[in-house]
Amino acid sequence: MTNASWKTFCVAIATIMLAACQQQPAPQPPTAGPAPATSAAASTPAARAAEKQRMTNLGIEHKTARALYDHLKQEAQGGKPLSWQTVPDWTGVWTREASPFFWDPDQESPTALPTAKLTPEFSKRLMDKLDKVNRGIEFDPLSNCEPAGMPRWMVEPFLREWVVTPQETYLVNEMQNEMRRVYTDGRDHPSAEDAYPLWEGDSIGFWDGNKLVIHTSQMRAGQYQRIQPYYTEQVETVEIWQKADADTMAVDIWAFDPPALAEPWYTKQSYKRLSNDDKSLRIRYWDCGENQNNTVTKTDTGSSDFTNFNFTKKDGK
Amino acid sequence: MRLILATALGGLALVSAQSFAHHSAVMFDDQKEITVKGTVKEFQYTNPHSWLLVDVKNTDGTVTTWGFEAEGPSTLTRAGIRKSDLSPGTEITITGHPMKDGRPAAAWMKATRGDGKQFNPAAGFAIK
Repeated sequence: MTNASWKTFCVAIATIMLAACQQQPAPQPPTAGPAPATSAAASTPAARAAEKQRMTNLGIEHKTARALYDHLKQEAQGGKPLSWQTVPDWTGVWTREASPFFWDPDQESPTALPTAKLTPEFSKRLMDKLDKVNRGIEFDPLSNCEPAGMPRWMVEPFLREWVVTPQETYLVNEMQNEMRRVYTDGRDHPSAEDAYPLWEGDSIGFWDGNKLVIHTSQMRAGQYQRIQPYYTEQVETVEIWQKADADTMAVDIWAFDPPALAEPWYTKQSYKRLSNDDKSLRIRYWDCGENQNNTVTKTDTGSSDFTNFNFTKKDGK
Repeated sequence: MRLILATALGGLALVSAQSFAHHSAVMFDDQKEITVKGTVKEFQYTNPHSWLLVDVKNTDGTVTTWGFEAEGPSTLTRAGIRKSDLSPGTEITITGHPMKDGRPAAAWMKATRGDGKQFNPAAGFAIK
């Protein structure tokens, strides 16, 4: 697709999106019956689409992420704490299955638009960003050696580990040593008066059999990925983690963010356990600043450039 | 300079030219490829990106050091590229997307060592 045709495409899609976003999301029919609030593996595209819609509706039925989390906890009759005898085997080295450039694995290509239903303001912000990227103007805050932070954490590539204990679960991404701590000991979030934005947010959870249900709040504003929408400090997520098979971790996740999302954004994420027979895959400490050749700064035009090569000079090339 | 190939590619939208890890790929020209032959000066096996520095002899007898950027150690390990594979002095032919501003640096696409073994960093993202 040429630059010109891409711009035409973007303008057309933006017009459609803005029109759609200016409508209030239509009330959806309630979920039928006591279907389990977790997305089982559907075998056909039509079945997967229907299951995705059911899970989307489940999010829409609840005004807030906390309401959805409380609903899931009620459905699980409060959940059952783990003991050391019932801790599931989530060991291994894992990585995300889908392209790291898309929040929703169902996004078909980099030139397709994200599947989120955005508010008009955040739809415009996304289109402005994509237009700049298409013109070669892009700067990722990660270039400042910042963490990705949650919820972007979900889609970053590289190696991951899951460490389960009865009281807490640690969800680790090697990039920037980002570790989420999920408290499953019954504690609640800090009070609203004491809450402040955190890179990974504050996560509480409960176990519903072999499923870990998580509510995360107190996140910082950011972007789902470089060519994905922005989110605000009001973003909150609900996740259901469970092993679909020995080598697949399936995660249902809803993002709630009223300023940015016209309705909760449900997606199904998947992580695969990597073969590691020779034990060569090991997560090391990640020092973003250890090599000066990786120094990237923001240019006057708002784009990115290497500024500190040790093997050549910019002026002398 | 032993510049073997510099070609212009087709017209893909820039938005498709994303790179993994901590920076945009806009400083590289994904519409061009450059291939040089030289000897490894240093393999900086680091996060968030590794850099392979290659000394390339120019036609006038001078030497230019080229830098080829790849992903960090864990991804290179998954691609079967170990630090010891490309020790200083190793002969190599390497291809990448060059910098737009003409500095001798590129995004590493593929490389072939003197003994014929190939090194493709992107293979490190394959799930296996």
